[in-house]
Amino acid sequence: MLDILSLLDITFFLLAALGALVGIIFGAIPGMTATMAVAVCLPLTYALGLNHGLALLLGLYVGGISGGMVPAVLLNIPGTPSSITTTFDGFPMAQKGEGERALRVCVVASLIGGLISAIVLFLFAPVLAEFSIKFSYVEKFLIILLALTVIASMSRNMLVGIFSGVLGIWLSLIGTYSISDGGNGHTRLMFDFLEPYLFEGFSLLPVLIGIFGIATILLEAEEGVKSGLAGKNIEFGKGGGFSFGIFKGRLTNLVRSSFIGTFVGMLPGVGGSAASVLAYTQEKNLSRDSSEMGKGAPQGLMASESANNALTGGALIPLLSLGIPGDSTTAILIGAFTLQGIQVGPLFIPENADTWYLMMIALVFANVVMFFLMFYAIKHIAKVVLVPKYILYPIIVMMCVVGAYAINYGIMFDVWTLLIFGVLGYLIQKVGLEVAPLIIGFILGGQAEVYFVKSLESFGTYSIFFTKSPIAVVLWGLIAASVAFSVTMSLKSRAKRRLEASS
Amino acid sequence: MSMPSIYKTLGTSVLMAGMAFGSAAALAADGPLRGNVRVVIGSTSTGGDTYQNSSIVADALAEHLDINMKVDAVGASSAFRFLDRDPRGNTLMIFHDQSYLGYLYGVEGYENIFEKYTIGPTVAINPGNAYLVPKDSPYQTLDDVIEAVGNGEEVRVAIQPGGVSEIGFSALKNAIAIEHPGMEENLVAVNTGSQADKNQQLFDDQADMINGTVQANEQYTRLPEDDQKAMRFLWLTARNSTIEQAPEDGLGQTTREQLLQYVEPNVNVTMGDDNFTFDKEFFFLYNKDMDQAIVNQIDQALAEIYAEGEIQETQKNAFFIPNFKPSDEAADYLESKMSVYEDIITNIQ
Repeated sequence: MLDILSLLDITFFLLAALGALVGIIFGAIPGMTATMAVAVCLPLTYALGLNHGLALLLGLYVGGISGGMVPAVLLNIPGTPSSITTTFDGFPMAQKGEGERALRVCVVASLIGGLISAIVLFLFAPVLAEFSIKFSYVEKFLIILLALTVIASMSRNMLVGIFSGVLGIWLSLIGTYSISDGGNGHTRLMFDFLEPYLFEGFSLLPVLIGIFGIATILLEAEEGVKSGLAGKNIEFGKGGGFSFGIFKGRLTNLVRSSFIGTFVGMLPGVGGSAASVLAYTQEKNLSRDSSEMGKGAPQGLMASESANNALTGGALIPLLSLGIPGDSTTAILIGAFTLQGIQVGPLFIPENADTWYLMMIALVFANVVMFFLMFYAIKHIAKVVLVPKYILYPIIVMMCVVGAYAINYGIMFDVWTLLIFGVLGYLIQKVGLEVAPLIIGFILGGQAEVYFVKSLESFGTYSIFFTKSPIAVVLWGLIAASVAFSVTMSLKSRAKRRLEASS
Repeated sequence: MSMPSIYKTLGTSVLMAGMAFGSAAALAADGPLRGNVRVVIGSTSTGGDTYQNSSIVADALAEHLDINMKVDAVGASSAFRFLDRDPRGNTLMIFHDQSYLGYLYGVEGYENIFEKYTIGPTVAINPGNAYLVPKDSPYQTLDDVIEAVGNGEEVRVAIQPGGVSEIGFSALKNAIAIEHPGMEENLVAVNTGSQADKNQQLFDDQADMINGTVQANEQYTRLPEDDQKAMRFLWLTARNSTIEQAPEDGLGQTTREQLLQYVEPNVNVTMGDDNFTFDKEFFFLYNKDMDQAIVNQIDQALAEIYAEGEIQETQKNAFFIPNFKPSDEAADYLESKMSVYEDIITNIQ
């Protein structure tokens, strides 16, 4: 243990803190993500050496995931794909003038999620890696299906919601079934002249920013400049009405969401956005008072943010104990090891104990730094909404365009995607379709297809989805429960409306 | 100062600073290649061998020529498109045999690189392309597999179709067709994607053998046999002479001596007269209309870098085998390499 202490120096902690700060900034700018932050700084690890390099990158990772909450709450733009569910309750709270309070809830939840997942990573990584390889294509498909059932419970009108979700899935299938996934690589669902642009389909991030960010701005622009400020009567100082009392009775939610986040992060190939979506639905299904969720309930923020920060520890589990990255950011992180000639695989932890302990220290430290940086900076950050809209919105649009252009290293079509989906997002809301189910369908649709097809290819029969393993049976149970719950909820609220109408 | 004029001043100063900085960088080098050069690679992964190898080479080149170079992991189809658009030489590409194997296998988005692009110098080999079985597999050698398939037993091999991962499988199928005509249909490809997917197929017992790499799978081969994840190397497709050049310590705790057990002449995959081998080689690709002077400049710079000898050490430390061939030589060499594999792929169709 003493050896490790000798490896720790001021630079190590400074780099982790710097990483967290830069990460938060990347996460907070719409169009920039944790993945980009890590990618940009990856070459630096050459000069820094492995331990210092990892401190920086882990700081960026933690900061980047957390920073996404800022635009999600204040502007209704998810800064990173995994903060979509943060917008559901965060933005309504900001509109009610509770932006600062919402952000504080998010920060605390993020810290708890990050720490719980770090503990799980530290104590159980090899055991969990063993468990994660029990998830074959079939189980992964079922996890995604479970996340898709959220569409039903999340929509205001179930039929419209499901229709929007299916529309989202349809959009996600545009492009090719990639040859690297064993498909034929032929383009589909498009006109021939679009092939050069849509070969790989619409990129996720431009779609996301467009449909949330640009559409919100268009809707606001329609109202004209009279209301002036994005947030109305905001109370600054005094913590914006925040007290830790808000977490009373929410421990189950936080712990459950953190475990869901860790768990989803652990499964390679199941995208990070599924984590917050699943945590959000589970809170909605299991909590006694979920009726306010989606209208500005802090519990939604807690579920979403603790789950997406818990991803960090979770995604490191397969990376460090199987050599397989758990999400897109850890896929880049693996480069830090290969560039230094360190193999990651099932023997990484026993053979590189020092590096392993250092990573844990960096991870925990970055979470703590993230907490203090954000918790005390929030009252200044939240003032963004005080900037007059006619100045704020053009800047946001510009940042969105730059981010969209940069996300795939300079593809102009991504900017068009941003604008197309911005207008689409606007129109969708005008004709009464629902944005949230659509975007969840879009995110999960592609993966659902690949795992569904792969399951059939591997096992050759539909019944395998039910009989593959006990895990599959449990997942079906959860799916059935989730669907049944949405149906009862919807019937109840309809009955309530009728009652109100008749009285 | 009113608000708008602050913005204006700010904007102008940023712009001027940018221009000053940009031109300073552009003037730093002389020679036809100058300023900022972007190296796109055919892989989207920054954790993979293409990125690792490309950044070693790009760093050395940038330092030697005193220019800026940045490696971008954009993936094959985007990389080709970026290259198509830029005849000035500010975009270069580094990729490996996948660039023509994709074409041979008829993968969408691949064209004949020898017609469409200028082939640049080769820089290194990744000798790690491997085939593995579970540690408790009944197949002790590749011959056991060939024998079993020849006797009508079905053997499932998990590969990523359409390139480097498939070529060894195709060669094996071809060898079986030669030694046991008509039985090659029993060697079945299980099409998957990433290395994680291929490993998973083995853990799930959905494949009997998988394509992998020394780098990614070496630790799995050192797990105890009762571990569900334990694997064993059967075959490395590299040439014997390639592995001979690897560092003596090999990789992880598998020495060069041990790796040599899995290459020819210990493992033979026949193509009729010769044995099949496959070295995954990295090389530059240029836009066809790029100035020949840039081609020469890079050739010359790399020749000097390789003469200094430092880059070889870096490459070997990263388990790459240095393999510099100037562009003319590289083009002829790779084209004849392609024709060998073309025969194999045609044979088994």
